[in-house]
Order: sequence, then structure tokens, then C-alpha cells
Amino acid sequence: MTGAETLSVVMVAAVCLALMAGYPVALTLGGVALAFAVLGELTGSMSMALIGALPQRIFGVMTNETLLAIPLFVFMGVMLERSRIAEDLLETMGRLFGSLRGGLGVSVAIVGTLLAASKGVVGATTVTLGLIMLPTMLRHAYDPRLAAGTVAATATLAQIFPPAIVLVLLGDQISNAYQAAQLAQGNFAPSSVSVADLFAGAVVPAFMLVGLYIVYLIATAFLRPKAAPAIPADPDAPRGVAMARRLGEVLVAPVALILAVLGSILGGLATPTEAASVGAFGAILLAARRIAPARTWPIDLGILALLAILPLRQLGPSAVLPLIAVAVLSAAIALLRVYRDGTLVQVTAKSTQFVSMIFLILIGATMFSLVFRGLGGDDLVHRALSNLPGGAAAAIVVVMLAMFLLGFIMDAFEIIFVVVPIVAPVLLRMEGIDPVWLGVLMAVNLQTSYMTPPFGPTLFFLRGVAPPEITTRHLYAGVVPFVAIQVAMLIVLWFVPGLATALPHALYGR
Amino acid sequence: MSLPDELTRIADHIDRLTGAVGRAVAWLAVAIVLVQFAVVLMRYGLGIGSIWMQESILYAHAVLFLLAAAWTLANDGHARIDILYAGASPRTKALVDLCGSLLLLLPFMAALAWYAWPYVARSWAILERSQEVSGLPFVYLLKSVLLLFALLMALQGIAQTIRAWAVLRRS
Repeated sequence: MTGAETLSVVMVAAVCLALMAGYPVALTLGGVALAFAVLGELTGSMSMALIGALPQRIFGVMTNETLLAIPLFVFMGVMLERSRIAEDLLETMGRLFGSLRGGLGVSVAIVGTLLAASKGVVGATTVTLGLIMLPTMLRHAYDPRLAAGTVAATATLAQIFPPAIVLVLLGDQISNAYQAAQLAQGNFAPSSVSVADLFAGAVVPAFMLVGLYIVYLIATAFLRPKAAPAIPADPDAPRGVAMARRLGEVLVAPVALILAVLGSILGGLATPTEAASVGAFGAILLAARRIAPARTWPIDLGILALLAILPLRQLGPSAVLPLIAVAVLSAAIALLRVYRDGTLVQVTAKSTQFVSMIFLILIGATMFSLVFRGLGGDDLVHRALSNLPGGAAAAIVVVMLAMFLLGFIMDAFEIIFVVVPIVAPVLLRMEGIDPVWLGVLMAVNLQTSYMTPPFGPTLFFLRGVAPPEITTRHLYAGVVPFVAIQVAMLIVLWFVPGLATALPHALYGR
Repeated sequence: MSLPDELTRIADHIDRLTGAVGRAVAWLAVAIVLVQFAVVLMRYGLGIGSIWMQESILYAHAVLFLLAAAWTLANDGHARIDILYAGASPRTKALVDLCGSLLLLLPFMAALAWYAWPYVARSWAILERSQEVSGLPFVYLLKSVLLLFALLMALQGIAQTIRAWAVLRRS
């Protein structure tokens, strides 16, 4: 190890220590890296001039079209959250399936998945599910361990269920790493991997996870009926046609929106950014409908006009322009409603701060990687990973373990921005490692880490909103079976990479 | 008026400034949604593409996350690793924030501004425009936002230092 490389190792240790103090991660990464750049300059290990590349790198982030999907997906999630559409959904599904044995648990898993897909952020999903479903399940004598475990596991699906924000960021980083890896191998016409590929790759594993959760819940309900009892039918609950209408009202719209977003990406119709704008715009319309349930017709008319554009566009602008005019009017009414209601101000403020948080981490991590590379740390990682006994498999296992452990203290965003640019180019240079498979493996791994006791962040979020009769012990014991499902999924993914790669291959022919 | 009061007033002024900027650029979130959706409608409905509209969304996004960063810091919206921080006393928290702004935030922003200055100046010298023919001719303005970002963040760091110092002084 050269002196500079030693310095890069010390820098990683120093960053970890400094992070534990609790100052914002982004600024800690940037500040500590700067200190080590100065140290490197003084000891002749690196040239400060390398930091001159920082503005250009940040400008690259500012003009990155892929990352534009982030503010749109965040806006969509926050709008759906603030408009309480999710709450309606949970309540109705609980009433519908509650009278079946284990039905309440299964409806939490299904609605949780929908929430995860629309919100894309674990914290928000955990809070919603924890505040609404946990008390309901406890009231109906569910085993507190089972209730807490179900909520924690389903909420964490937000990490990998497309269109998860984590997948957008991971897709962007993997794509850069894949290009770099191929260039390093002398391939100057590299093939590329996109966010849409990663979305498609995550679909099958994500659905398998939900399926396994549900199987576990049903099995528990039958083996230990006391843990997940059927709830007595609610005499005030609407029945028959009324129930079906209520279900249609609360279920169809959000599900259609999510399907439209996902379907258009997977079908290759739209880029993730385009689809995200449809999702965000749709969320505004749905929120406006929810605010004034008695006068939804102006909004419905706009939705119909938008839907009519697709089949009628062949007729040319004379057919499309009137439809667009109707949609614009309808959108104006919708915006006015969410503005007057105060929702819009809250949603813009919350989404803006969240987006700013993510991108500040990216800026800090960019500075960190610049200095880490400047000190030759990437060569060190390359040598260490390439010389492991056991080859590529061992290298991946080491990286996965490191990411899993880091997941206890750091957000997925931070790990993706800091670790992936350093390790992924090395891993992708090795024989037989598919970038989509690697990305999905990383995503499921980070998700597993997110809910693993005792440090999994989801458990902390849930701790904060859970009713007092749920103890930390309940929470830990309840989530363990779900963690076991996750680990099983990781092992299956390891031996059957096709679970991640077959769908993108079929859809996009990669 | 004593020095501490004077300093706290400065911190208040900074909070008001970054807050006003943050709340203003937050509206760009709505603009991003609407313009991007309009681009989609035009592309799929009418078959028209517009490079300057697409670029204006990128501009809006960059301005949004850069200029709202200081406001987000004032609202404690930037992710921390709070395993120890969450349970710490107000005094310890103030100490972390004081050291953090003086040793990490301010030097980092100073370095960013130092290296961004020539980068931005080069862009102004040629009034750099988009590489696309029909793109926006304001790349030099977009790059200047980097300097504004560093300035606002540094100001917020000063406000954070003052408030942390006030907490430490009181206890």
C-alpha cells in the first residue's frame, strides 16, 4: 500500500467516525474529504487541483435528465400521502378482507405494496401504515409481533418496488459504472443499462417478496389462528353494491395511476421521467377529487379528455387540441382546489426539502469520491476485490456484506452515492456479472438491511409511531421471519439471476 | 443592545433570507410537474418536441435543489446519522452543530466557491449557451447558481454557528 492509499483508508475511517457525531451526512462527507485533500497536498499524496473537477461534476448532476425523475416521483408520493388517499384505501381494504382469517394482515401487505409503489420512501410508508393499520390490527387481537413485523416488512418494500426512488438513483450509478467498466476493458462502444432496465429487473423479485409475505401471513393464520383472527363483520360497513362502489372509488384511481406509470415505463412507451410526470400530474387530479367529493365532474372530464388523447391522436391536432384545452381547464381547477385547501403549499415545501436533501448528499458524495480516487483508493479497492480467493463470487459477497452493515447506520441514498461508484466499476469488469442483476441484488440487500434488528431504520421509524403496547421486543421478534424471507430471496436471486434479468431481456431485448 | 442579541438578530435575518428563497423556489416543483407533463402531452399527443422546454425543466430542477438546500438546513431537513445525536442533550447537539458548521460546512462551501469561480467565469466570458441549437442560451446563468448555492449555504452555516453558540453560552 502506498502512502496515499493509506491516507485513503484513514479517510474512510475518519468519515465513519465523523458521521457518528450526527452532523448532516452530505456536509460531513464533503468537509472531511476536503480536509484529506489538504492533507494529501501537504504530504505530496495528491494534488488539490483535482478538486477543480467538482463544479463540472455538480453541473453534470444539475443537467442529468435521468435524475429529473426524482422530484417528480417525490412530488407524486407526497401529494398522494397528504391527500389521504392511502388512508381511505387502507380502511376499505381492511373492511373488505378483515372478516377472513388473516385477512387484515394480507390487506396490510397488499395496500402496503401499493403505498410503497406510490410513495417510494420507506419513512413515509412506515408512518402511514404504522399509524393506521397497527392500532387496527391490535384492536382486533392480532399478535403484536405479527402485526409489527407485517407493517415493518411491507413498508420497507418501498425501497425496491418500482418506481422506487432508490432504483432511480441506483440505476443512474450502475449505468455510469457499467460504462466506466467497459471503457476500462477497451470497449469503446459500450452497451448501456438504464433505470427502466432496473425497474423491470426489480418487478419479479418485488412481487415474489410480497407473495412470500402473504403466504407467511396465511400460513400463520391457519397454524396459529389466535395470532391473526378474523374480525367480526362491521354492522355499519356498506355491503354489496355500496361496498363495491366504495371500493371502486378508493381503489381504482390510485391503482390505475400506479399501473399507468409503471406500465408505460415497462412497456417502453415512456422514459421514467415522462412517466413520473404523468404520475405527479395524476396525483394532483386525484387529490383535487378527494378534496371536493361532491363536485368531481370537472376533474373527471379532464381525466377522460387525457385518456381520449391516446386513441384519437391519429386524427391529428384538430382532434387533440380541444381535448388538451379541456385537460388544461380541468388541471387549473384541480390546482386551485389543492392550493386553496393548503395542500399544495405543504406538498411543494415537503417535496422540495426532500429533493434538496437527496441532491446535497449526492454533492457531498461527489466530493468524497473525487478525493478518494485522487488518493488512489479506487485502485486499492480494485486490487483487494480482484485478489480475493473465490473470484467474482467472493467479491460480490464481500461488497454485499459491507453494504448490509452500512445499511444499519446510513440511508440507502448515501450508500448508493458513496459505495456504488467505487465498487461497481470493479465488479462489473469481472466475468459474468450482469449489471441489472447486480443492481437488483444490491437493492434487495439494502432493503433487507433496512428492516434487520437491531439497527434497521424502518424499526426506528415504526418505533416512533407504534402504540405503546408494542414493545421493541415485539418489533424485533415479529420482523425476524420476514428477514428470513428476505435472505431466502437473496439466495434464490444469487442462484437464479434470471429472476432479475429475464424481464428486462424480454421487454427491451438486452 | 448586547453582542449576543446583535448576533441572534443576524441569524434571524439569515433565516428569513434563506427561508424566502427556499419557499420561492419550492414553487418550481409545481412548474417541473406541469411543464414536464406538457412536454409529454405535446410529444405523444401532437408529435412535437421542444428542446428549450426540456432544458427549462432541468434549469428549474437545478435551481430547486441547490437554492432550497440552505432552507432545508435551517429546517433540519438534511439527513443525519442520529444513532447518538437523537438522544444527545441540547448542549451536545449544539456542540456538534457548532463544530460541524465551522469545520465541515464553511470550509466545504468555501472550497466549492473557490473552484467554481473560474469555472463560472469561463462560462460568462463566452456567454455560454446550450450545445443544442434550439436550446436555452443561459448556461452561464445556470452555472452561476452554484456560487449562489455556496453563498446561501455558507450564510446558513453562520446562522447555525450563532444559534449553537447561543445555546452553549446559556447552559
